[in-house]
Amino acid sequence: MIKNYFKIAWRNLIKNKGLSFINLSGLALGMAVVILIGLWIYDEVTFNQNHENYDRIAHVLMNKTSSNGDKRTRFTMPFPLGNELRDKYGDNFDYVVMSSFHGDNIISIDNKSLTKLGGFMEPDALRMLSLRMIYGDWDGLKNPNSVVISQSTSKALFGDINPIGKPLKISNLLDVFVTGVYQDIPFNATFNNLEFIAPWELYVTSHSWVRYARDNNFWDNNSYQLYVQIADGRNMKLVNAKIKDAVYDNLSGNSKKSHPELVLHPMKDWHLRSDWKNGVNVGGFIQYVWLFGIIGLFVLLLACINFMNLSTAQSEKRAKEVGVLKSIGSSKKQLINQFLSESFLVVVLAFILAISIVFLAIPSFNQLADKQIVFPYKNILFWLINIGFVIVTSLLAGSYPAFYLSSFRPVKVLKGGFKAGKSATSFRKTLVVVQFAVSVMLVIGTIVVKKQINHSKNRPIGYEQEGLVMIGKVTEDYEGKYNVLRSELLNTGAIENMSESSSPLTDVWSSGGGFEWQGKDPNFLTNIVTVCVSHDYGKTVGWNIAKGRDFSRTFSTDSTAFILNEAAVKYMGIKDPIGKTIRWNNQDHKVIGVVKNILTESPFQPVKQAVYMIKYDNTNWIELKLNPSKSASESLAAIKTVFNKHAPNVPFEYQFVDETFAEKFIAEERIRKLSTIFSFFAIFISCLGLFGLASFIVEQRTKEIGIRKVVGASVFNLWKLLSKDFITLVILATIIAIPLAYYGVNNWLDNYEYRTEVSWWVFVTVGIGAIVVTLTTVSFQAIKAANTNPIKSLKTE
Amino acid sequence: MIKIKDLEKYYKTEELQTIALNKLSFEVKQGEFIAVMGPSGCGKSTLLNILGMLDDSDGGSFIFNGEEVINYNERKRANIRKHNIGFVFQSFNLIDQLTVFENVELPLIYTGVKKAERKKKVHEVLEKMQIMHRRKHFPQQLSGGQQQRVAVARAVVNDPKLILADEPTGNLDSSNGNEVMELLTELNNQGATIIMVTHSEHDAKYSHRIIRMLDGQKVTENSLI
Repeated sequence: MIKNYFKIAWRNLIKNKGLSFINLSGLALGMAVVILIGLWIYDEVTFNQNHENYDRIAHVLMNKTSSNGDKRTRFTMPFPLGNELRDKYGDNFDYVVMSSFHGDNIISIDNKSLTKLGGFMEPDALRMLSLRMIYGDWDGLKNPNSVVISQSTSKALFGDINPIGKPLKISNLLDVFVTGVYQDIPFNATFNNLEFIAPWELYVTSHSWVRYARDNNFWDNNSYQLYVQIADGRNMKLVNAKIKDAVYDNLSGNSKKSHPELVLHPMKDWHLRSDWKNGVNVGGFIQYVWLFGIIGLFVLLLACINFMNLSTAQSEKRAKEVGVLKSIGSSKKQLINQFLSESFLVVVLAFILAISIVFLAIPSFNQLADKQIVFPYKNILFWLINIGFVIVTSLLAGSYPAFYLSSFRPVKVLKGGFKAGKSATSFRKTLVVVQFAVSVMLVIGTIVVKKQINHSKNRPIGYEQEGLVMIGKVTEDYEGKYNVLRSELLNTGAIENMSESSSPLTDVWSSGGGFEWQGKDPNFLTNIVTVCVSHDYGKTVGWNIAKGRDFSRTFSTDSTAFILNEAAVKYMGIKDPIGKTIRWNNQDHKVIGVVKNILTESPFQPVKQAVYMIKYDNTNWIELKLNPSKSASESLAAIKTVFNKHAPNVPFEYQFVDETFAEKFIAEERIRKLSTIFSFFAIFISCLGLFGLASFIVEQRTKEIGIRKVVGASVFNLWKLLSKDFITLVILATIIAIPLAYYGVNNWLDNYEYRTEVSWWVFVTVGIGAIVVTLTTVSFQAIKAANTNPIKSLKTE
Repeated sequence: MIKIKDLEKYYKTEELQTIALNKLSFEVKQGEFIAVMGPSGCGKSTLLNILGMLDDSDGGSFIFNGEEVINYNERKRANIRKHNIGFVFQSFNLIDQLTVFENVELPLIYTGVKKAERKKKVHEVLEKMQIMHRRKHFPQQLSGGQQQRVAVARAVVNDPKLILADEPTGNLDSSNGNEVMELLTELNNQGATIIMVTHSEHDAKYSHRIIRMLDGQKVTENSLI
C-alpha cells in the first residue's frame, strides 16, 4: 500500500514538472535558509561555552557617574581591587584574576620573532578559563618568568616538538621560558586570538608605573582588567550587590565624586549583550539573533504556506481523481495517506536539496558572517532535529491539502460542479499580504542600513587617509630614534613626512580630567581626549587648521602649547580660544590653534573633545605619509630596510589607515549583507506565494476568462483584469509595512548618534519595486491564461 | 457571407492523429439559418469554433464577408469576432460573479462603447428578451431558460451579423427550448445569420437548411424552404 502511495506521488510529481520544480525549489530554499540561520544562531548562543565554568565567570566593570548625572560603564580597574576582592569577599569567588589589556607583543626565540596577541594574567587564569593543556598544567604561571602559549604559536616557533622549558623573549625585553601549551581557543570565543599568557607578576615587576601602583596601593588609577569566577552555588547578582562599593569605599576626597559602582558582566553575556547605556546593560548583538531567528521561522512558514497553496491550487485538477478513487472504494483515511505521502516525498526531496545547498553555501556564508561554522554531519543531534524538522514540515505543508482534497464529495466532483470556496481564496490573499509586508519591511530595512553606512562613510574625517600608514611602536627598540628614522626615511624618497603620536589615528587611547580654564564652572568634571604628537603630526596626517596655527619648531614655547579640536572648543565654551590659557597637570598651556574634528572612534558617534600637545617621550605610533609619486610596495620595501636597520629584532608590520578605518564598518556591513540576502529570499519566496495564488485564481477563473474572451476581451483586457487584484493586495501590504518599517528602522537608527534620515524616497522606491515585481510574477500566469484557447476552458463543461 | 473550401483540422496526440474536419466545403448566405447535425465526434463543434474564429484550421480556405481570414493572427480574428459574431452555448457560459446586466454589458465594454450608450443598449435587449426585471440578479438565481435568454441577449447586444449557437437547447426542457428557438427565429427574421449545431431534429426544423456531417465530412445538405 505504502509503495503504491509513493508510486502515485512520484508520478504526480513527474507529471507536473514545472509546478513540482517551483514547489520543490521554493521549499528547499526555505529549508536551506532555516538550517543556515539555525547553525548561525547555535554558533552565536554557544559563544564562550568552550570554557567549562562559563556560567560562573564574569568581567568586572565599573559604572562612573559624570557631573551631569550620566553613568558610563568602564572596563578599567584600579590595581588594589584584585586583592581587595580576595581579602574581604574571598568566599564568594573561586578565582579572582587581574589582567593587563591584551595587545600585540613581539615574542621571539633565537632567530624567529612573531607578533602575537597576548597578555599578563594572574596564575588562576588557566584554571578559570579551563584551557586544554597539551603540555604542562594549570600551574604554569606560578613562576614569574614563565609563559604559556597556544598550540599554533608553539608550532610556529618550535615546530612539532614539546617546547616545555624552552627560553622565549617577550617584547625583546623579558626573558621567560615555556611552561605550558594550550589547545587553540575556538573561534567562537572572546579569548579566541589569545596566543600567549605571561604571569601578572612579570607585568608588575617590568613596568615601573604598575610597580608604583602596587607599592603605594594606588586606588586612583584605573588601568587593568579584572576577571572573576564566582564560587559554586553563589548567585552572581547577590555577589555583585555585595562587592558593588568595593572601589568607592577605598576612595577619598574628589575621587569619590564620580561614585564608582562595580558591575559583574557574566561571560555568557559578553558576546550578545555588550552594550551599556547609563550604567545598564541594554543588550547588543542579541537583537540581531532574535531578528534573524524570527526571519528564519518566517521564511520556513512562508515556504510551507506556499507549498500548501500550490498543492491546493491544483485541487480542481485533482478533484476528479479524488472522485474516482472514492467511487471505487477508497476511504478518506487512505486518501489522506495518499496526499500526505505526496507531501512527505516532496519535503524529503526538498530536504536533500536544502542540505546540499547548505553544504555548498557554508564557506561563503562563513565569509559573509565572519564565522567558522562547519557542517555538523557527525552530530547526531543535528540529524535528529532535521528528521523532526522534515516530519513537522511535511505535516505542516501536507495536512491542509490532504484533509481538504480528501473531503471532496465524489458525485459533486465527478459531475464537474466542484469549485473551491471563497474562504480558500481570502485565506490565500491574507497570506500574500503578510508575505509582501514582510518582504517590503526587510527591503526598507536593508536600504536604510546601507544608507546609514554610506552616510557615515561620507562624513568628513578631518585628515587625509590616502597613502597614510601606521606602525605600532610595540617595543622599546624605537625609543629615541625619531629624528634618525625620520631623516633616513625622507632621504629614501619613499615618504613625504613622518610623525609620532600617543594614540592611533583610528582610536582614542587616553582621556582625562582636571582641565581648568577661565569661566569654567568649578563643579564641571572634565573629560577630554589627550593626544601627544610630534611637531610633524599635522602635516603628516593632513589635518585642517580652522583657527590659529599648527605646532612649529620655531617657537620653543610650543612644547607646552595646546591645539584643540572644534568639539573641545564647543565643550569648553571658550569664545576666542586662540591665546587663551588652559591649566592642566599643574601647568599652564596656551592654545595656539583649533583643528577641524578628526574622526578617530566610531563613525556613528560624534567626535569627542580632544587636545593635542607636543610630547616625544609618550608616543606609541608612527605615522608615515607615502610619496604619492611612487608605488606603495616600492616605498614599503624601502621603509622596511630602514626599520630593520634600526630595530633589527622587530618584525616590520604596518597598517594602512584607510583599511583600519574601514574595519569600523564591519559589524554594520555584516548586518547589511545578511539582511540583503534574507530580503532576497523573502522576495523570492513571496513571489512564489504570489505565483501560487495567481495560478490558483487563474485556475478558478478559467471559465470566466474563456467567456470573456469569446465575447471580445483582448489579452490586454484580461491581463488588466487579473493583475488588478494582485496590485491591490501588494499596495495593501506596502501600506501595512511602511509604518512598521518606519518604526523599526528609526529604532535601529537610535543606536547611532550620527545617523541618516529615513527619507520618503526609500518607501516610494520600495513600493514601486514591489508593484513591478508583482506585475512580473503575475503577468506570466495572466498572459498564459489570456492566451489559452477559450474553447478548451468552455469545453470542460 | 461565409464561404469555406477544403477546410481541414487534425488533432494530434503523441501516437495518433485524429481528423476532425476533412476537406469540408459549403457556403452560407447573409440572413440564412443553418442547422448542422451529426453524431458525437463528427466535427460539428470544431467547425463552429473555426467559424467563430476561436480555433485555427490546418488547411483550406475561409472567407468571411469577402475577406480571407484563414491566416489571420489572434488579434485580427479577435477584432472581427467582437464586432461581427455572437455565441450561444449549451451550458450558457454566464459569469457567475456578474449580474445579468453586467453579463450582457460585457461585449459592449470590450468594443469600447460609452457607458450611457451601453446602458441603453443593454436595457433594449433585456426588454426584448423579457428578462428586464431580472437584470440585477446573478445567474444562479435564474432558471435554465432564463439563463439561456440572458446568454442570447449577450450574444446579440452588439448587433452581430452572425450568431453561432452550440446546442442552445441542450440543457433546457422542451417548453424553455421552444422559447429559445423562437427567439433565434425572430433574430433571424430581423436579419441575423445563424449557424446552429444541434442533435435535435425538432430544433433543426426551425432552420432553412440542414447540413449533416459524419467523420469530418459533409454527407447531405437539404433545404427546408
